Amino acid sequence: MKKLVALLLTLLLVPVMIPAMAEGPTLRIAVDTNASADGLRAVIEKAREDIGVNVEVEIRPGGDEGDNLVKAWIAAGEVPDLLYYNSGSKLLEMDPANNFVDLTAYPHIVDRLADSFKGAVTVGDAVYGVPLTSSQAGAILYNKVIYEELGLEVPANWQEFLDNCKACADAGYYGLIGTFGTSWSSQVLFLGDYYNVVTGYPTFAADFEAGTAKYAITPSAVRSFEKYTEVIPYYNPDYVVATYEDGVEYLAEAKGAHWIILTQALQNIDSLYGRETVDEIGVFCVPADDGNNGLTVWVANGIYVNKNGAHVDEAIKFIEYYISDAALDVYANTLLANGPFCIKGYQMGDNAYAAVAKDMQAYFDAGTTYVAQEFECAIKGANCESICIEVGTGAISAEEAAAIYDDDCYKMAVQLGFNWD
Amino acid sequence: MARQTASIQKAEASIYSYWFLVPAFFIFVIFFVIPTAISLYFSMTVWSFDSSTFCGFDNYKMFFSEYALTIGIKNTFIYAFLTSGSKVVLAFLIAVFLTGKIRTRNVLRSIVFFPNLVSTVAVGIAFKAILHPTKGYINQFINLFGLSSVDWLGNRSLALFSVAAVDIWKGLSIATVIYVAGIASIDHSYYEASSIDGASRWQTLRYVTIPLTAASRNTVIILSLIGGLRSFELIWTMTAGGPGFASDVMPSIIYKQYTQGFFGLSTAGNVILLVMISIVIFPLQKLLSKSEEAMR
Amino acid sequence: MKMKKRNPGSLAAEIIGWIVAVSLFVLPFLFVAFNSLKDRRGANKLNFTPPDVFHWENYVEVIRNNRYQILTAFKNSAEITFFSLIVLVGCSAMAGYIIQRRRTRVTAAANKLLLVGLMVPVSILPTIWLLRSLNIYKTLFSMVMIESALNLPFTIMLYRGFMDTIPTELEEAAWIDGCNKWAVFSRIIFPLLKPVTSTVIILNAVTIFNDFTNPLYFYPSNANVTVQLTIYNYISQFQSSYNLLFADVILITLPMLLLFIIFNKRIISGMVSGAVKG
Repeated sequence: MKKLVALLLTLLLVPVMIPAMAEGPTLRIAVDTNASADGLRAVIEKAREDIGVNVEVEIRPGGDEGDNLVKAWIAAGEVPDLLYYNSGSKLLEMDPANNFVDLTAYPHIVDRLADSFKGAVTVGDAVYGVPLTSSQAGAILYNKVIYEELGLEVPANWQEFLDNCKACADAGYYGLIGTFGTSWSSQVLFLGDYYNVVTGYPTFAADFEAGTAKYAITPSAVRSFEKYTEVIPYYNPDYVVATYEDGVEYLAEAKGAHWIILTQALQNIDSLYGRETVDEIGVFCVPADDGNNGLTVWVANGIYVNKNGAHVDEAIKFIEYYISDAALDVYANTLLANGPFCIKGYQMGDNAYAAVAKDMQAYFDAGTTYVAQEFECAIKGANCESICIEVGTGAISAEEAAAIYDDDCYKMAVQLGFNWD
Repeated sequence: MARQTASIQKAEASIYSYWFLVPAFFIFVIFFVIPTAISLYFSMTVWSFDSSTFCGFDNYKMFFSEYALTIGIKNTFIYAFLTSGSKVVLAFLIAVFLTGKIRTRNVLRSIVFFPNLVSTVAVGIAFKAILHPTKGYINQFINLFGLSSVDWLGNRSLALFSVAAVDIWKGLSIATVIYVAGIASIDHSYYEASSIDGASRWQTLRYVTIPLTAASRNTVIILSLIGGLRSFELIWTMTAGGPGFASDVMPSIIYKQYTQGFFGLSTAGNVILLVMISIVIFPLQKLLSKSEEAMR
Repeated sequence: MKMKKRNPGSLAAEIIGWIVAVSLFVLPFLFVAFNSLKDRRGANKLNFTPPDVFHWENYVEVIRNNRYQILTAFKNSAEITFFSLIVLVGCSAMAGYIIQRRRTRVTAAANKLLLVGLMVPVSILPTIWLLRSLNIYKTLFSMVMIESALNLPFTIMLYRGFMDTIPTELEEAAWIDGCNKWAVFSRIIFPLLKPVTSTVIILNAVTIFNDFTNPLYFYPSNANVTVQLTIYNYISQFQSSYNLLFADVILITLPMLLLFIIFNKRIISGMVSGAVKG
């Protein structure tokens, strides 16, 4: 009965809407404020011309509030036609099987997805999303002007990195920029060190989910926390309260030499300081102790199609277009990439940032990259940021941090139904 | 005598009919009490969209094993009593001042009220910058006197107090407005009487204004204390409970759990918080209404 | 207020009052205002310096952003606020009146329930389910009801507190003169509650107009956007624009400031002949 009423109402509304947009329905896509929507908007414009699909962007808050909101939408059955959301562990929390279209029925879409991304949007046998943005890395941005002035080389291992920090600090720069005032940024060293965790313990993620591996008893994992204690002497004096915006300023204006952050910061430096400045910034990975270095990569977040929406076919048409070469060109010209796109065979244009085209690409060419933990392990502790800040301000030891983090993860394991007892 | 009481009660029942209560409680019960009651069931489940598993009191046990809980409870009480106490006293002084013979009191009142109008997020961003150890103007001002800078939000033992100060700054105006209305409704004959008796300004304040604003003072006490015990928004935007866990309070711990999707666990936390608040508020309310009766 | 001889003490008090008000309240406002007029790069540094060039176009941009979204937001927030206030003032004045005048087990229980209401946060998901099962989810009506329900405890408490100051003789006299119970309330009591009604309007209007989370969850979609949500256009993990953020903050603050100025006078009008004599 309710459905009938809804149907009647829709039928009544359709004639009202037709004069407004003659070409068909307008899809809603909800995007949070953390994803720069400029690239998406440019593709939407082009899609209207090329394939006649109308899409309207709805901005929603990002961060924790945004996660809550999306969960409330799902609980209320109010998911927009297209939803932008995290890939990896957070996708699992969204009950994808009941809410999003499984794309395996559309091989021409799935076959375009790079394997790293496909892994991050695969739950069971189903594949749920296409990448909204380029990929990026959790790595160390450094100011090449300072490096040149002091005659420094990209460090080959962790000790050399500390030496470089010291050299910069001795020369009057901030050796390392810390921006714990924006708390998410505090965990990038921990998360970006994941390549090294896996080098030391290749099956860590699977064993951690199974409850057999723990941070506190895995030397390469405790090492991630130890690195926090070792860099403390080189931070900017205000590192506990400095914000992300301060970090951008310190690095771009050559007040500080290194910043451990997501490479999306490059776009921000570009938009505030311009192309010349951003090309003075280089990238290297969080170095390993033994020099066996590799880059920890954040694959892009996904666009998912609401399975229960009224316009599934148009939505599929739109995401199919979204990952076409033509659309990617439009995207990449609007918003320069923070890393390679997660689409097979698509080459970045010549205008990419130096840090991306040279420094990051080298890791991909050498095959020394690994996805960040959240893309292969469902369990992440709720208090990760706070624990990183505790250890990074010397309030607790690395061993304590690892043990607290294990306890913290227990809650997530219970929530997701893993049996850890 | 007995008959007379009965008839007064009858008259009272017909003037002050319970029907006056019905609209308010109808709305309150449907749109607040019922959803809250449903949520109680959550506190005993591990809940996600398609399934909820009953788990008895496991969530409560898990909540008590929360790493930052001890510091969170301590901070909750410090924060609540500090902000509430300051608001009760400072707002009263401001209200007395702003109802006095001040030519520009309307402008001043608007200025004092302004912080209440600004969103918490914006206040958080602005004060993070104002309290910044080197760039913030407060420290630049302090430096003028040759004093060294203070790391208002980065110092673990100071962060909670800095946020509390901003909370007082922002919330003072609500208390002030309530007091102003309270002072405004004092019958002016009291002031005339005290002026005829030759009372000094201090005596008028002590024997007229303070006792006769008991009702608004009690309202302010109860509201600001409950508000303080439940408050986390400003803490969240300014320190996110940090550095580390140094300024975490019960509600921010619960909020963190909630944002991670631990609905059952966070509801259990809310029940525990409710019990905690009740233990403080109900006896206090009783005490206050007794003293209010006594003053009359 | 008649001009009277002013003693030097009260002038000194006024001057001190201004110094305190300026340093505590005006400086932070200036900080926000300065940064709202800078370019993005300058504003993101969050320094307390006047802008080199005044970028008034920030305000234009904020108004035009997302197809004049801020205007839609003003309309929506104003609607929710207006209707909620009517419900709140009507229901709470009546309830506060009875709870204060009659001390029975019923009113004591009502009192306790309201106190609990102050202590408990909203349960978002159960509320959404309830609204959906009543078929009123995403309607202005349900939003008004929720805002009313959430602010009732506070508002009733204020009314109850101020009923204390109204002597019972008035209504007893009216009752004996033959007024019925509704007339006693609406003709005698309610007009006397004017100062507290103004207070209630000011405080609730600000809370509801500036509410962010409840409309976000219970009244979603672009068409129903409320003022606080517009702020989120300028906050992001990576691309914040503090100049536009602060310009937006100032713009959305203005209506409530205006409302305050209007109703503030009403609070005082209740005390014209009274307290000021001192």
